Amino acid sequence: MVNKIPKWNLVLVLVLISEIIVFGLINPRFWNISILLNSFNDFVAIAIIGFFVTFVIITGGIDISGGSIIGLTSVVTGILSQLVGLNIWIAVIIAITVGGLCGLINGILIAYGRVQAMVITLGGLLLYSGIAIVLVGVSGASSYEGISGFSEEFSSLAYGTVLGIPNSVILFIGMFLIAYVLLHLTKYGRYVFLTGINQNAADYSGIDTKKIIASTYVLSGLSAGVAGVMLTSYLGSARADFGSEYLMSILTIVVLGGTLITGGKGGVVGTALASIIVGFLQVGLQMGGISTQYIGLATGLLLILSVALLSVSAGSKNSIKKLLMIKSNIKEGEV
Amino acid sequence: MSIIEAITKKREVRTLLFLVLLFIVVGFVNSEFLSIGNIQNSLKSSLLYIVLAVGLTFVLLTGNIDISVGGTLGLSAAVSGLIMKNGGSIIFAIAVAVLIGAVVGLINGFGVTKLKISSFIMTLGMLEITRVVQVIYTDGKWVENLPVAFKKLSQVQVGGVNVMILMILIGVILVHLYLTKSNKGRYFSAIGDNMDGAVLLGVPVKRYVTYSFVISGVCSALAGLVFASQVGFISTNAGLGVEMTVIAAAVLGGVSLSGGVGSVIGASLGAIIMISINSALVYMKIPAFWNAVISGALLIIIVVIDAQLNRRNEKRTEKERMRARVLQKSEPKVPKEEVSIVYGK
Repeated sequence: MVNKIPKWNLVLVLVLISEIIVFGLINPRFWNISILLNSFNDFVAIAIIGFFVTFVIITGGIDISGGSIIGLTSVVTGILSQLVGLNIWIAVIIAITVGGLCGLINGILIAYGRVQAMVITLGGLLLYSGIAIVLVGVSGASSYEGISGFSEEFSSLAYGTVLGIPNSVILFIGMFLIAYVLLHLTKYGRYVFLTGINQNAADYSGIDTKKIIASTYVLSGLSAGVAGVMLTSYLGSARADFGSEYLMSILTIVVLGGTLITGGKGGVVGTALASIIVGFLQVGLQMGGISTQYIGLATGLLLILSVALLSVSAGSKNSIKKLLMIKSNIKEGEV
Repeated sequence: MSIIEAITKKREVRTLLFLVLLFIVVGFVNSEFLSIGNIQNSLKSSLLYIVLAVGLTFVLLTGNIDISVGGTLGLSAAVSGLIMKNGGSIIFAIAVAVLIGAVVGLINGFGVTKLKISSFIMTLGMLEITRVVQVIYTDGKWVENLPVAFKKLSQVQVGGVNVMILMILIGVILVHLYLTKSNKGRYFSAIGDNMDGAVLLGVPVKRYVTYSFVISGVCSALAGLVFASQVGFISTNAGLGVEMTVIAAAVLGGVSLSGGVGSVIGASLGAIIMISINSALVYMKIPAFWNAVISGALLIIIVVIDAQLNRRNEKRTEKERMRARVLQKSEPKVPKEEVSIVYGK
């Protein structure tokens, strides 16, 4: 049973547990469960996008436009509900659809236009955040204060609780389950992995890899839409620059979660664990009285160290295998 | 006709044509845009991006990417700024800045070649780390009151032309010659074009990949000095988001992110385009918030069209190759007698 769990995930669980113990020793308030659960609000947006960017990276692509889609959906929600006067839930649905559309544009250009994912999503990053800024500029809202004045009902999305559990935790678990089932329990998920491992082979075995690739970007766009709505509800206003600094964090949790940046290998469980580790790290450092400036240093080092560790361990595993093979060959030769 | 075709096939020429077109179109709307003063201003404000793009091109040619340029720029500018502010000599400050750039580049190169970290992740991490180090070093404050002599460096004029523009343009041309004409310079694109082939040819791949990161780091540091000299102060978020603009500029100029293709001249032209869009909007009296939309859309459109053109060209050459092979096969190589013997049995 234990053997079935990937070793990296076990490492992550250990890191998480030791993190909780260490931060708790520094500041006992860290062991307060309600504080920990409420801290999900701060990183749930990153985690949600991370789940689906995992899909994209497994197919061998990359999506750096997620952060800018957050800003766009936030602005769309704000404009439609506050300035146009639509029902807030209709506005939310339209905003999430817009996120999906952004993903669809990325996906079609990358899969069918055969342009590098990095270039297209970089263009998307500029374009979508640009559209958000234009929407704010045209609608005449203050770009600094953003569009505020949302209803109680809407802000309860982030601050409400169900059976004492904050909504953000429930959203985290819900999106995690969706991503987990899609990636690890369905045929679609197998196709995603196959596409990443060897696109040609997948093509020859009758999988429409272009459609699979495009669909992962749509999923990532949709998740960014959900994250944008969540963040708008949490912060109580809609601004174009929301999520603009999330690029680094999203990629950190995906890579720290053990997903290979070159594609073909990875999983949502690792991403989820990594997102909690990074999220708690920030909360813990803040509680430990370390100024927020240093948090970037910690996450940057974490990113580089985790990738170095992953690649070194993979390399040493290979070299051990080689050594064993040589040894067995020698033995056979002796016999 | 063939000369025109040959010229338009070159990616840099197409970029240049686009730049000229941009100036003409905006010039029709507002003729002041074509004034020498404005052109010189456009060049002046794109200098920083040109220097960054030149360094980045080295890295992109080898098939890697460097996201940390903005962080290196900010850190080296802040450190050298503080040295100058505290009475250090300008030359010492410049040397320190270059050293910082080289060290950051060396760390990047070490991570990519020795630890085998993907360059995207490695430099993304370094971006964050350099930012934080800058904030720690400057105590989160802006570096202001740089010495006047240093600020004047960017304003020296000879014959009505800014000296810094001249220096950087000459530098770009020299680097271009190095990359295209010298043996060692061509190692960079050889590595990006076909790494295994480069290894077989005896190119010290790891060393040159490290060099490329060091060059990019040094260029970022120089860009930081240009920035400090032009602006006159260094804020804590100096160079924030620069990396995306520079990558976009390089891609606009025809540098491929998969390595092996591109030139520093193209990348510099791309940088000028990215910056000219800013001032073009001002001259066309379009609100500045359209800037990101236009550059983003432009980037996507140009890249997609380019990819389609390339693919069509590849298909055509493949077809020609196939046809040539078919022609070869149709000529009977076997003497007739032998054929009859074979058929006779």
